Amino acid sequence: MATKTLTRRAVLRTAALATTAIATPFVSRARAAGDPATAGKITVAWHTNIAARWLDPSQHDGSATPDNFINALHDGLIKNYKKELYNHLALADEFDLAEDAKSATFRLRQNIYFHDGSPVTPDDVKWSYENYKGAWADVLHRRTDRIDIQDKRTIRFEFKEPFLDFPRLMGTSNVCGAAWVVPAKYYQQVGKAGFVQKPIGAGPYRLVSQEPGTRLDFEAFDGYYKPVHIKNLTMLSVPEAATRVAMLDRGDADLIYFITGDLLPGVMKDPKIMLAPVVSGNWWVEFPGFENPKSPFHDKRVREAVSLAIDRDAMNQAECAGLGVVDGNWINDDVEYYLPWPKWPHDVAKAKQLMAEAGYPNGFTYDWLTPAPPYYSRGERIIADLQQIGIRGRLQQLERGVYNARRQAGLKAWPGVNIILAGARIGASWANWYESLFRCGSRLGADSVCVADLDDKFAQYTKSENAKDRNQLAHEIQRSILENYYFIPVFRHAFNNGIGTRIKAKTWQDVFPTVTTGYAYPWEEIELKT
Amino acid sequence: MGRFILRRTIYSLITLFILSLTIFTVVRLTGDPVTFLAEPGARAEDLQRIRAEWGLDRPLPVQYLSFVKNVVIGRLGNSFNYEMPVSTLYFQRLPNSLELALAATMISFFIGIPAGIVSAVKVNTPWDSLGKAVALLGLAIPGFWLGLVLILVFSVWLGWLPTSGQGGWRHLIMPAVALGWYFAASLLRLTRSSMLEVLRSEYVKLARLKGLPGYVVIAVHAFKNALIPVLTLAGVNLVVMINAAVIIEVIFAWPGIGRLLYEGIFQRDFPLVQGIVMEAGIMIVLINLLIDFLYAWIDPRVRLIK
Repeated sequence: MATKTLTRRAVLRTAALATTAIATPFVSRARAAGDPATAGKITVAWHTNIAARWLDPSQHDGSATPDNFINALHDGLIKNYKKELYNHLALADEFDLAEDAKSATFRLRQNIYFHDGSPVTPDDVKWSYENYKGAWADVLHRRTDRIDIQDKRTIRFEFKEPFLDFPRLMGTSNVCGAAWVVPAKYYQQVGKAGFVQKPIGAGPYRLVSQEPGTRLDFEAFDGYYKPVHIKNLTMLSVPEAATRVAMLDRGDADLIYFITGDLLPGVMKDPKIMLAPVVSGNWWVEFPGFENPKSPFHDKRVREAVSLAIDRDAMNQAECAGLGVVDGNWINDDVEYYLPWPKWPHDVAKAKQLMAEAGYPNGFTYDWLTPAPPYYSRGERIIADLQQIGIRGRLQQLERGVYNARRQAGLKAWPGVNIILAGARIGASWANWYESLFRCGSRLGADSVCVADLDDKFAQYTKSENAKDRNQLAHEIQRSILENYYFIPVFRHAFNNGIGTRIKAKTWQDVFPTVTTGYAYPWEEIELKT
Repeated sequence: MGRFILRRTIYSLITLFILSLTIFTVVRLTGDPVTFLAEPGARAEDLQRIRAEWGLDRPLPVQYLSFVKNVVIGRLGNSFNYEMPVSTLYFQRLPNSLELALAATMISFFIGIPAGIVSAVKVNTPWDSLGKAVALLGLAIPGFWLGLVLILVFSVWLGWLPTSGQGGWRHLIMPAVALGWYFAASLLRLTRSSMLEVLRSEYVKLARLKGLPGYVVIAVHAFKNALIPVLTLAGVNLVVMINAAVIIEVIFAWPGIGRLLYEGIFQRDFPLVQGIVMEAGIMIVLINLLIDFLYAWIDPRVRLIK
């Protein structure tokens, strides 16, 4: 009897076909944005300044920020969408990663257009990819052998070696922007600076006007291949959280991002606001240079004592009104090969015992605890927790740029004995977390953590073409990090947003359905109450 | 008069030179802007490319000379963050800041000057105490707190005014009050002290002895002379309000220059910070120069002071 093996290729193909089938009724309603149903206006209050480069996918900085904007203005070949982590068919209606992972083929939808009316072509896809300069560009370009345009709709990427992570990089808009297609001719004509002033994309909304840094006015694009429910979308930069809450309360905004912990009690009582506590970035404690035997954190028992001393529930309650999640891994559970891990115990007595066993019955003093800016109060809580077991130190508040620069500089930027309370949200794959933060020489960790045997395993992982092996290696590495307390997970904070009364939503997940982000896309699916 | 104008102009140019050197040095002391312009952990060659692209790979004296040359010809460079000319950004935001600053100045005039006059005329009475209390509160209440209270009361509770942003006179009221309140207090204090000084002068006493009505003495003889330092302060206040109303602009999401400067500092956007500070500096120096010329014209004794 012939046995049928469920291959990755078959799964991807089935997913692609299923998605296409589901999407067909919507596709047949192409240009539906021009329907009478497209009406109304929403205002979104954004929580920082609006950087112009966020309007250009080719300048994606790898952070979970530009995706809010590029999902309105642009569209990807494949993308993260609702519960699909990376492989939702968007501009492409067919996608196939070869069985040997040495090539990937995309077929573009028919009749898809940029906002200036020009068609989206494989040439645009190729140009966008080849001229992509943002996060992960070096990895993508280094591993790509060539790009072939096979016909008017089909484009094939060939790789020098198996490239299993290619779809995840391409399809995760809060990691990388290489699959987000820009009009090649227009971009070349206006240049990078011109493009961010008047960007043209193929997304559900076209930019009508912008006041640099403070305001973006969009209008539903009537050439989009799906219905866009709301005609006008305005994004305003409102840096002050209390002002954003007041705007929502009064109806000056319909959707606001980032309600700070101090405002949450009031917001939770306000009948005009639906709170959207999107569980988002993970927070953990790390010890730069702990491999050095002179560091008190070199001893695993000390690191374990630190873990036992941290009151994670209190942190979650105080910082996020209990709306975050206290789980066990420092890597988010919405990525590939995530290893589930139970909640860590809080046991001060045992922590003290471990400290004594490690030769520190009276504790010790470290130099600085540095939290990721601007979450300084979280650092103060960790300091207070550690003081209970005799680990004494001071809080170091760094400005964000300085913090980033020091993180990237590695150990030389952290003289003495240091603790870092770090936080991140990275999409797609657990490997992106490891690659960015843990690997010796990583993008953010530099040489502050170097565990050679895990890096060797990670090298095996990246070379492996076998999903089962990769899964096993991924879990082995994560388990080792956790069991050895190399990184000590604290909690996943809630990125608290607010939804106003005009938006149609039974639950907050109706407005924030995409599990890989804290933002409200897909924008085209947000509706107003009738 | 000619020598006086020349001397003052040279002083102003020296001031601008020192300012340009200071701001050029200070922004570079804060760190490398390339950390913001490149993706975290970008390769060394990428960082080098970005440095070259923005001219940051050149020696500092060359960068400074280029900066000064550009300022002289009215070009302030391109903002790293906005990828557009700083002067365009500045002049895009300037009308918004002017609108807010003028409204706040009017409010500070309407509150500060009458209250200062009353306080001086009714010195050591409950009116004076009330004036002093207003001044004390104005100087002590932080702008951000006042702004948030105004939003809470007039937008959230009463629903009379929009919470933030720009879009008409109703949007202007709360930020103008929050910004003008502090300056009203400083004007009140200065008007009071200036009026008290003038009211004690011989010519005012003479005017009273001549039997002139009290309001004539105050309005025609005293107030006119007491106004000179008040107007000088108001002029400087206006420039400060245009260029540095950072907190109020952030709280009310007002798209002004103060917020632009704040964003520039936060993003380590050298050309933007340099450009705004130079524009503000030039504005202040020019206004002071103009005031000096006016003083010299009004009072010839000023020209003789070296």
